[in-house]
Amino acid sequence: MATLIHSSGLDRYYDFRDALPERPDGVEAEAGRYAAWDRDAVLDFHTRRDGNDRRSIVLVLENVHCAACAWLIHRYLGQFAGVSETRLDVGDGRLRLRFEPDRTPLSALAAALDRIGYPPHLDTPDSGIDRDRNERRRMLRYLIVAALGMMQVMSYALANYIGAGSADAGGGMDPETEHFFRLISMLVAVPVALYAGQPFYRSAVNHLRQRHLGLDVPVAAAILLALFSSVLITLFGQGEVYFDSVVMFIFFLLLGRYAVMLARQQSGAVHSALARALPNQARRLTATGSEAVGLIELQVGDSVIVADGEVVPADGIVTAGEASVDESLLSGEAEPRARVAGDAVLAGSLVTGGSLQLRIEKLGSGTVLSGIVELLSEARRRRPRLARLADTAAAWFIALILLSTGLAAIYWWQTDPASVIPVVLAMLVVACPCALALGTPTALASATRGLALEGVLTANPDALEALPRITHVVLDKTGTLTEPGARLVEVRSGAGLAREEILELAGALERISSHPIARAFGPFDRGRRVEQAENIAGAGVSGVIDGRRCWLGRADWVAGCAGRRWVEPGDGIWLALLVEGGDEPAWLRVDARLRAGAQALVARLKGSGISVVLASGDREANVASVAQALGIEAFHAAMKPQDKLALVERLQREGARVAMVGDGINDAPVLAGADISIALAEGAAIARTQADLVSTGRDLNPLAVLFDQAPRVRRIIRQNLVWALTYNLGALPLAAAGLVPPWAAAIGMSASSIAVVLNARRLGKTRDRRPPARPAPRAALETA
Amino acid sequence: MKIIYVLIPLSLMLLSLAVWAFFWAVRNDQFDDLDTPAMDILDDDEGSADDQETEAGDR
Repeated sequence: MATLIHSSGLDRYYDFRDALPERPDGVEAEAGRYAAWDRDAVLDFHTRRDGNDRRSIVLVLENVHCAACAWLIHRYLGQFAGVSETRLDVGDGRLRLRFEPDRTPLSALAAALDRIGYPPHLDTPDSGIDRDRNERRRMLRYLIVAALGMMQVMSYALANYIGAGSADAGGGMDPETEHFFRLISMLVAVPVALYAGQPFYRSAVNHLRQRHLGLDVPVAAAILLALFSSVLITLFGQGEVYFDSVVMFIFFLLLGRYAVMLARQQSGAVHSALARALPNQARRLTATGSEAVGLIELQVGDSVIVADGEVVPADGIVTAGEASVDESLLSGEAEPRARVAGDAVLAGSLVTGGSLQLRIEKLGSGTVLSGIVELLSEARRRRPRLARLADTAAAWFIALILLSTGLAAIYWWQTDPASVIPVVLAMLVVACPCALALGTPTALASATRGLALEGVLTANPDALEALPRITHVVLDKTGTLTEPGARLVEVRSGAGLAREEILELAGALERISSHPIARAFGPFDRGRRVEQAENIAGAGVSGVIDGRRCWLGRADWVAGCAGRRWVEPGDGIWLALLVEGGDEPAWLRVDARLRAGAQALVARLKGSGISVVLASGDREANVASVAQALGIEAFHAAMKPQDKLALVERLQREGARVAMVGDGINDAPVLAGADISIALAEGAAIARTQADLVSTGRDLNPLAVLFDQAPRVRRIIRQNLVWALTYNLGALPLAAAGLVPPWAAAIGMSASSIAVVLNARRLGKTRDRRPPARPAPRAALETA
Repeated sequence: MKIIYVLIPLSLMLLSLAVWAFFWAVRNDQFDDLDTPAMDILDDDEGSADDQETEAGDR
């Protein structure tokens, strides 16, 4: 029988495959529904140009629920001219598509998706909600039909059972009435099963079309087999009918499916919360006043007004007005910051206490907000390693089920033909490895959501799973353990320079540096011209101002440039500023406070047996004092980025698994070299970091949460996989032995999927914020 | 027992009525939000004109 399904499925597959691409007329007719998508305004707003004629777009698709969907879509869309990339996030149905509008218009691709059963929506803030609502409604309708149908068919079956029972006692139902009940059952069960079972048939056909044994193949086979054998028996023969079983397990399977769908929709909610952050319209300044326009109409260079309490529609520069801007959504930073003319503001941040006039710099998919959303979606599009493994295992398992069901059917045919059908049904349904396939992706999706609420964005879900195996954590000091903004605390003038002159030179020079310390000098920049500017990572900056070369940076570097030797005048972080021709440098002392939670993080890491290493470009004395304050024994000072990378590589050669925590921009090469990279970033930097995990808060508590959560993620994934395997391997022999009635099989399968999903959802719960000062006791409790 | 030949078709009609009624409810957003209506009773406000209008529309 397995071969039968297989071969018929494959034949169908070839029919479809040959037929689909050859029917462009059908596609064109449907393309009319998406014609508006080819308009320039739509393309400009929703797509990003990638080079010449290529554009990439994100579409939100309906009905996506398995890895195999990605395969089908990839294969099918790949046949259109100019489509060069299709990547699907199975978790929330977002498809990234790279195409050439001149060769295949977007409307044709949209119509094509619609035809193969995945109606697309543009990625507007509401599209996810619309799509989710459509899916929920469709599922509810199936569920209702199945529930009502089940009630009816079971009441008829009950009459039959009672009739059969009293027949033994001498009474009984006359054959005519019994036949009538069967006919009526069939009349109800056939349409109900055909309608409500659609999700299973569709997905089974889709899988078979691409020569893949999907999860729904055995389920659909079981339903149809039971249904049609019962119809044949009712019309022509004698024997048992299974209309009640069929309708009942469609109902239980749908119930399980519905619960899984709700969980999935919820885990996508953070994502859409971010996307929904943008306002519906903006007020654009015109020559005569202002007009309300849709976001899609805005253009770079437009001036818009954002009033008190409104949300910034696009990334821009403040041209007039002042207000506090709440960027908590973007950076996790709770405190609003003052913004005045010349400052940059980001789309999605909230203006409070004043109004701003902005000149728009970046729109739509170019904004930082969209970069962050993209970062998160990118993560969800990656298929985690464990999930891929589980998928392969599930495919093999389905083949095993079909094979063993075939064998069991042959055995029972010879011993007891009457129980062939119930046994086959039970085996096909009970052993469906849904739980196995759901275990990892749902756990990672919930964990990603939970962590995002705590301020950690997961760009690479594999990192979450690998994090508990980490043996060493290398911490950067400046900008990571210390707050990103350094403050200038002391100036000692030398070489006859006035204090104001020193500050002005320092402000101008540090303009080109992206080092966290450079921020201390921002306020003193008067816009002096700097020529031949040079930024030497880990050392300092130099440039020519008013015809004289100036150096500003670490004392030994500046001294080296001038061919002299100096020592810093005291403790703390001192920068030397030397102007060409001068004998003595001016000294500037900057101070950066430790970030809140640094102490707790280090204690937490050491408590769980992870070696903490401090690597900084700063000089020995400063690094040592920070290391001492935090209780870190291993520290390395005066390290350039390449030294840090060498350190990480040395540790790795010694067998360590290294997580690197850095600020994401200056440490990029080191982060890339580590097993797991964790970046601390805020605002625009979030989208630019290449790290596996990005912490967006100002303090280090999110990292402590991350290190607490990672072992839980791993544990829950394990639990899920172990439970799913035990259930499947245990249930199959029981069903083959005829010990599991079909209704119990349906309940068992749904229950196993729901158990896995509920277990995974524990990771998505936001735990009440613990007091930052004492995370350790609770962490200890939880890892115990 | 002949009565079942009338009663059962009748039950089928009721069944289709029930299916139709549920579909109508799904189509009219009755299942879209199952959480907030339960909280509405705690809301002391008399409700804006807008609220009353939609309530009337639902009836």
